[in-house]
Amino acid sequence: MKDIAARALDTARSRGASYADARINEERMQFVEVKNGRVTAIADTGSMGLGVRVMVDGAWGFCASAEVNAAEADRCAAVAVEIARASRKVRDTPASLSPLAAATASWETPHEKDPFRTPLSQKVDLLLAADKAMRGVAGLKLATSSMQCWEDKKIFASTEGAYITQRILHTGGGIVATAVSDEDIQVRSYPTSFGGQFESGGYEVVERLDLPGHAQKTAEEAVALLTAKPCPAGESTIILDGSQVSLQLHESCGHPSELDRVLGWEANYAGMSFLTPEKRNALAYGSPAVSIVADATAQRGLGTFGFDDEGVPAQRSDLVKDGRFVGYLTSRETAGSLGLASNGTMRAESWSHIPLIRMTNINLLPGKWKLEDLVADTPDGIYMLTNRSWSIDDKRYNFQFGTEMGYEIKNGKRGAMLKNCTYTGITPRFWNACDAVCDESDWEIWGTPNCGKGQPSQTMRTAQGAATARFQKVQVGVGFKRSAS
Amino acid sequence: MNVEPANTLLAEGEAQKLLKSVLGRCPERAEAIYLEADEALTRFANNHVHQNVRSRRRSVVLRLFLGKRAGVASTSRLDAQALDDLVERARAMAELSPENPDFGDLPPPAAVQRLAGYVDATAECSPDERAEAVRRVIDPVKKAGMVVAGALSTGSNLVAVANTAGVFAYFPSTASNFTCTVMADDSSGWVDVHARDWRQLDTGALGHKAIEKARVSARPVAMPAGKYTVVLEENAVAELVAFLGWTGFGAQSYQEGHSFLNGRLGQKITGERITIVDDAFDARTLGMPFDYEGVPKRRVPLIEGGVAKGLVHDTISAKRDGVASTGHALPPPNPEGPLPYDLVVGTGEHTVDEMIAATENGILVTRFWYNRVVDPRNTVITGMTRDGTFRIENGKVVGGVRNLRYNESVLDVLARAERIGKTALPTVFDYTRNCVVAPAMQVRDFNFTGVTEF
Repeated sequence: MKDIAARALDTARSRGASYADARINEERMQFVEVKNGRVTAIADTGSMGLGVRVMVDGAWGFCASAEVNAAEADRCAAVAVEIARASRKVRDTPASLSPLAAATASWETPHEKDPFRTPLSQKVDLLLAADKAMRGVAGLKLATSSMQCWEDKKIFASTEGAYITQRILHTGGGIVATAVSDEDIQVRSYPTSFGGQFESGGYEVVERLDLPGHAQKTAEEAVALLTAKPCPAGESTIILDGSQVSLQLHESCGHPSELDRVLGWEANYAGMSFLTPEKRNALAYGSPAVSIVADATAQRGLGTFGFDDEGVPAQRSDLVKDGRFVGYLTSRETAGSLGLASNGTMRAESWSHIPLIRMTNINLLPGKWKLEDLVADTPDGIYMLTNRSWSIDDKRYNFQFGTEMGYEIKNGKRGAMLKNCTYTGITPRFWNACDAVCDESDWEIWGTPNCGKGQPSQTMRTAQGAATARFQKVQVGVGFKRSAS
Repeated sequence: MNVEPANTLLAEGEAQKLLKSVLGRCPERAEAIYLEADEALTRFANNHVHQNVRSRRRSVVLRLFLGKRAGVASTSRLDAQALDDLVERARAMAELSPENPDFGDLPPPAAVQRLAGYVDATAECSPDERAEAVRRVIDPVKKAGMVVAGALSTGSNLVAVANTAGVFAYFPSTASNFTCTVMADDSSGWVDVHARDWRQLDTGALGHKAIEKARVSARPVAMPAGKYTVVLEENAVAELVAFLGWTGFGAQSYQEGHSFLNGRLGQKITGERITIVDDAFDARTLGMPFDYEGVPKRRVPLIEGGVAKGLVHDTISAKRDGVASTGHALPPPNPEGPLPYDLVVGTGEHTVDEMIAATENGILVTRFWYNRVVDPRNTVITGMTRDGTFRIENGKVVGGVRNLRYNESVLDVLARAERIGKTALPTVFDYTRNCVVAPAMQVRDFNFTGVTEF
């Protein structure tokens, strides 16, 4: 494979490329799903290919192929150069890359149990056990249990001399209980929605989740939600559990921090960002309780790796420090526009895609509160758990989120269960209203396996570390008010 | 110099030979799908091309049965060793899987209606041609003192399906898309058009449309949240209607009890002027003539005169209901079950200009963005307006408004449609590639619940 990558680079160079990189990826995914006692999906998919990215006279071209051999390396490199020359015809100022020391390295996701060597029967049995426990709860309509693992063997080589091999493993799973009445559909997920919790690691991730041990409670909560009080409408103090804070971070901090969005590269699709360059080191993004880092070196996150897909080493950098917005997620090309070096966030969905700036692990640093103390400190509010719906505008200001479940908080005590919880706000006002973040005992690095961006569209697995947090004076109860009236 | 051959898709005979070779390796019943895509996309932002890509992808997807057990595996490699390994992985999956009474049935061969979906010019479109087409947008945008971002894509796709019951279906097609967002200081305008023949994409004219939207929506004013009469352009209606497809028109969601149609089939669920069918043979869609089980697509009435009429099926859901598949299977593994991929909403009698003229005080919406389900039983979704939101006063568009958040029931919106457009346009969704052909609508009492900062 090293020869094929080198061949692509040589051909690109000989045809006029000033820079080229070649990525050869072998990707595998396994998925198992159980619904109401039946194995409804069981799959093992694989894909392999070569992608060649070139810069010619300051313009980009890229070509990818599912055939990995010397002839295709030549062809991809030649096509990529041809495409780059076409790009140059519609480009006034040339692109450039910030400096990078070329690395020769290997990296593998730390793991205890290779998920592709774990017997399939063990996986099926675990899901069936969780399924059985959920279906033991009267009134449940649909029990869904699933797990998924990905392996990505990657080679990166560049004309600057880099040669990096990586083996990245992501594993996880979850359960979903669905309860239905004539008027209502309620769901409860464990440990979180979007298929559950996913991490960098092996099968030990799934074992740690103990899906069967949480199945009965999850199903009971789904059924109870059908008759729970609806979330009130108005202004309220809200406490969000860590998984919901995680998605809030993803949508309202991670995406707007992507420098390609800021520079307008995503304006036609994913959108732009309110975090424009003059706000760096100036904007009070949040309260002093809010500090957020992008940390590809963090343990267990879906954004954990050795090197990004430009060969930049994984690193940790500040996005928000003590409430002040201080940094972006960058690439070699975008970082240079601000006089910076890349902080290593370029990842491609597969060999057939170019790398884009993607979230690594966007972590809200833990605070000092214990969850029970936070509830006790809240005279009147709503505790919301587990994302159910999410929407945000294309500059990442106005958002509306819904959660699967909530609880009233009255006089510092958790009260009645609430259903149909929603809240809405404007990003900087919301984070400036954050007055408490729980400590490490409540902190988790939550996986988001379905982040979309780019044209052609790409899906990426990212993570956000978060603990339970409290926000003051938030508008709640939107969306459902209309149908309840 | 053009270093690329034109059509690289596997020929029909070669595809049949490949799939036969895969099926011949299987111990029992099996189904094999060959998918191939050769796609290029020129992306531009800040008035220049900043990304420009081409990729050739392919895969063989095998669903192998051992009695009532099933396993699915896929590979992108086509050599003999890779195909042996593919069958072995699928067999291993099936052997270790418990029996599922739903599994094991394969559809028999059936005549597939011909659908001409392949245009040589689209498959052969070169990077230079795309660059020139993009320049036809960028130059006038620069002249207008504005900035544009967007993408022009062209490509060819192949789907071939075979099974051990004798099915073989083969469909090569092409697709192209031009989309751009033109930005002025405090406003923007958007267009998005799909066609099998890329020469139908008049990028210059589309760019001018986006420029005009950005110009007219400049200096937007904030309108308070509340209920307004809206004129929803075709894309905006399609964004709403798509959710009916994802949350309830598929038979599996109905059988599992979480469709918005549960308990409502045969009942009036929306306005009596609303008709929605799934029809892959409607020339405005980019449909294929059979599904991923090789079953011919049927035209399925879903809502007729406001009454819920039907569901789309694959082989498994059809067997459960004792009916025939309508040809709406997705590639395995498919947790979602069958889905409608070519929704067509019936048209009315009005133009968008007539709808605007008939609006005393309201809002014109180009598109919605980041739409998500809030209340699935009641088809309530939320989202934002984007890239062209205008105030209408006394029958005229008078300027831009800041973007608004809505929370609305899709069925209620359709029921409150006062006027329906006489023409319908396709919207193709990026991730799922499904299509909704929808007319514009004038809707009263549209529920905006919030305003953003721009």
